[in-house]
Amino acid sequence: MLHLRARSLADTHAIAAALAAVSRRGDLIVLAGEMGAGKTAFAKGFGQALGVTEPITSPTFTLVHSYDTPGKLTLHHADIYRLSTQHEVADLALAELLEYDGIVLLEWGDVVARSLGEHLLVQLDADPDDEDARDITLSGSGRAWAERWSRIEAATEEYAC
Amino acid sequence: MLILGIETATQQVSVAIGGHEGVLGMFEVSRGRRHAETLIPAVEFLCAQADVQIDEFGAIAVDIGPGLFTGMRVGLAAGKAMAQALRIPMIGISSLDLLAFPLRHADRTIAAVIDARKGELFYAFYKPVPGGVQRVTEPVVGRAADLAADLMARGQNVVCVGDGALRYREEIAGGAACDFAEQFLAHPSAAPLVQLAHARALREEWVNPWEIQPLYLRAPDAQINWSTRESAR
Repeated sequence: MLHLRARSLADTHAIAAALAAVSRRGDLIVLAGEMGAGKTAFAKGFGQALGVTEPITSPTFTLVHSYDTPGKLTLHHADIYRLSTQHEVADLALAELLEYDGIVLLEWGDVVARSLGEHLLVQLDADPDDEDARDITLSGSGRAWAERWSRIEAATEEYAC
Repeated sequence: MLILGIETATQQVSVAIGGHEGVLGMFEVSRGRRHAETLIPAVEFLCAQADVQIDEFGAIAVDIGPGLFTGMRVGLAAGKAMAQALRIPMIGISSLDLLAFPLRHADRTIAAVIDARKGELFYAFYKPVPGGVQRVTEPVVGRAADLAADLMARGQNVVCVGDGALRYREEIAGGAACDFAEQFLAHPSAAPLVQLAHARALREEWVNPWEIQPLYLRAPDAQINWSTRESAR
């Protein structure tokens, strides 16, 4: 587990960009945190780092937004906040999106974590005393993340706390 | 009666027009994987080339799975929308039936196997019968090792067909006597779909567009436990 401190929105974007740099086809990244914690802001920083030029907007009402990147990867940004059953989550076909040259960012995915398989959990927490700052905790599940952990630590070193 | 067949259960998009004389035309592509972008232009192209007006169709046949969600929902939604707009009935046929049907002259047991992703397979066994194939087991979802065990337990010489069979060929073949059908038979096709659907249409075995349901093979549904997050909702 890795504890990071983002002092500003720019820091959140930079941490997202550092993770984008080590991400690859087939990665599932779960974004957890309350309303306004910065899940979509994280997705924006992540997408921009992959070279997405379209505006990245919240998928809460449309469930999944997909963005092409110059590197042939497709970034899928999903949100299960409006869903109430496991079958509705299954209908998103996240495993298929991952297999088709995709990376998936899944907002609120922590509530169904057990059905997801290997993933990186990005927990974002607001600081009641500093409205720009966020505490960001990273934890990986599965081998795919374990083997990249030292690179993730190195890439986010300046934000470690 | 003319039937439009729509098949999107795997990465392939396949559309065909069938009538009493058989398959009149077919379009198929398996390399693209954007079903939503390929399907309707494929139907338009096929209708134009076969000189068929869309209001000439008397029924729409769709593959109801099991298959990949990303494709299935496109094919089912498009088929339902067209059938409702044209006020015509639908005929749903399983993807595994469509894989097995072209091997009906094989004279041995057929295992139809679709790649379900995440290391899983959808499969069922069939036996050839006069005029077609008959399913002899319920469709199930399992891993290659499960299918290999089923094959060994049967102790028969089986022919395996489908993209799942080819992807896990070595694991499936280990220890069991089986052959594998050609790659060009590995995806369910709209050609057998319209042929099988035509036979059903003659018997008026069809359903209303709002009644057709995909065949999902998955765990029972459960509510998401949103209470695990105190302030969610």
